[in-house]
Amino acid sequence: MNGAVWGPLMFLGALAFIFTGYPVAFALAGTALLFALLGSLAGHFDLILLTALPERTFGTMSNYTLLAVPFFIYMGTVLEKSRLAEELLETIGLLFGRFRGGLALGVILVGALLAAATGVVGASVTAMGLISLPVMLRNGYRSEVALGTISAAGTLGQIIPPSIVLIVLGDQLGVSVGDLFRAALIPGLALTGAYAAYILGLAAVRPGWVPALSKEMRDAARGELLKRVAFSMMPPLILIVVVLGSIFAGVATPTEAGALGAVGAMALAAANRTLGMDVLREAAEDTTRLTIMVVFLLIGSTAFALVFRGLDGDIWIADLLTGLPGGWLGFLLAVNLLVFVLGFFIDFFEIAFIIVPLLVLPARQLGLDPVWLGIVLAVNLQTSFLTPPFGFSLFYLRGVTPDHVPTTSIYRGAVPFIAIQVLVLAAVVWMARPA
Amino acid sequence: MRTLRRLAGAVERLNQGLGGVLRWLALLMVLMGAYNALARYLTRYAGVSLSSNALNEAQWYLFSLIFLLGAAYGLKVDAHVRVDVVYGRLSERARGWIDLLGTVLFLIPFTVVMLWVSYPTVRNSWGVREVSPDPGGLPRYPIKAVILVSFALLLLQGIAQAVRALDRIAGRGAGEGGAAAERSAGTAAGPGVGGHL
Repeated sequence: MNGAVWGPLMFLGALAFIFTGYPVAFALAGTALLFALLGSLAGHFDLILLTALPERTFGTMSNYTLLAVPFFIYMGTVLEKSRLAEELLETIGLLFGRFRGGLALGVILVGALLAAATGVVGASVTAMGLISLPVMLRNGYRSEVALGTISAAGTLGQIIPPSIVLIVLGDQLGVSVGDLFRAALIPGLALTGAYAAYILGLAAVRPGWVPALSKEMRDAARGELLKRVAFSMMPPLILIVVVLGSIFAGVATPTEAGALGAVGAMALAAANRTLGMDVLREAAEDTTRLTIMVVFLLIGSTAFALVFRGLDGDIWIADLLTGLPGGWLGFLLAVNLLVFVLGFFIDFFEIAFIIVPLLVLPARQLGLDPVWLGIVLAVNLQTSFLTPPFGFSLFYLRGVTPDHVPTTSIYRGAVPFIAIQVLVLAAVVWMARPA
Repeated sequence: MRTLRRLAGAVERLNQGLGGVLRWLALLMVLMGAYNALARYLTRYAGVSLSSNALNEAQWYLFSLIFLLGAAYGLKVDAHVRVDVVYGRLSERARGWIDLLGTVLFLIPFTVVMLWVSYPTVRNSWGVREVSPDPGGLPRYPIKAVILVSFALLLLQGIAQAVRALDRIAGRGAGEGGAAAERSAGTAAGPGVGGHL
């Protein structure tokens, strides 16, 4: 029963060190070394296990799935820095804004699409908060509705392919990223549809909360609108459809589609005459930094996992999770609760690298399909990012919201969307049940 | 302390310079990835092999170079993700303490252990001039040696971080290009993390 003592100690130790705020990658690696040393002094750990680290590092270097991450980040940052994403957002706003609730629908649609383009919560929430929020508020939108729509739409990127969350989850769960993308399309579209239905419902019941664009704004835009739809809206849309379509059709691997999508984004930016050296440099710099961050987090987590397993911590976790009352349902509820709470404080990368590998074994023992386990986790994290008071999406939105809008409005606005999330999450848990 | 500060400055300049080069490798990697994707597709129809194991491997060699050589640069510009629920609310001096202790107790021992356990693997690979198991693949030993370079750079940057942290504890500020200054510029929005996705 060695793992039952060392497992919890090491797990809590890692959490404590992570919360000091020292870079997570090295806090994890340091925890691993500390417990390797303590374990070996107590005679429970063989230090020779640490010599597996170079081979693990090499495995990360030659990991073909992970290569998709920098490619999609590059594609997203080029679309963002070349202002293509911004123009897409403005054009869809003008196109939909002529109807009641249209501005909010546009935000949801762009959230889903930008999502597809970037998968970066911070980027899409910030962009929509800066561009769409002022337009919605000026037009007399109820601020809660405008704020809730933006923070919720900004999280759609977590679940709608080619979300980077899904790529990393696929790698950690040992399932094909293509399968995960296909499965994620169902809850992704369900969420988008439910958000849209909520806005349409408001437009019917509370028309004053979601007014259409004023006549002046509509008239001012009329002449240009067709041109903008053709040149600003369609090209990024087609790029996204082609990238996703090639993955779903099995023509390209996610890695290949990501690389082609990144080059496609550069081509669109060039056609738009906004592909300067500065855009190339910033996109490359962002991609470099994120790649370094993600991979070193994985290396630190690998060191943690190696020692944790050496101390039988994985057996402790598996026993704990498979012994819960309610079998698979108890397991999923416990995991959901843990991930939901952790999602307030730590990034999904940490959760994916530290927690998810520990779930694979118990999930298999309970007969759960790892693909659907991944989908449950993705929807759960997305919900967590939207939940006050700690949700990341709400923080990013606060950062770009005028000071006179109280933070409580942001929180209140999120509530209806959280209700939708909970319903979809429950449906996904049900879909994940063992065959 | 003065010598240490000079050393820290030199290490920081080295890693900063490296970062400036690595970002262009990211662009090269994107272009190469796209070429490889097209080549695989075209090969199927053209009947002429446009793709090769060397090109496919070059793609992940570039990926490896970026994060291995960039790890120390990432440390310098504070790109490694932190959980700053607590850290974000602390005084500059308290943050200095966390960075100092974290570097001395976690980062530096980890780099030393990684150098220690990787050296025999790299030496063996180098000794037999290890190449890819796939036909036409690239030599493996140089890229494996980069693992050593990576952790050596990280060790040096760790020492530099410790020196800067000491200065912050003593209230002498972060100095030019210190991580703290870049962080406050980098994450204006919310207490989230630098690279939060």
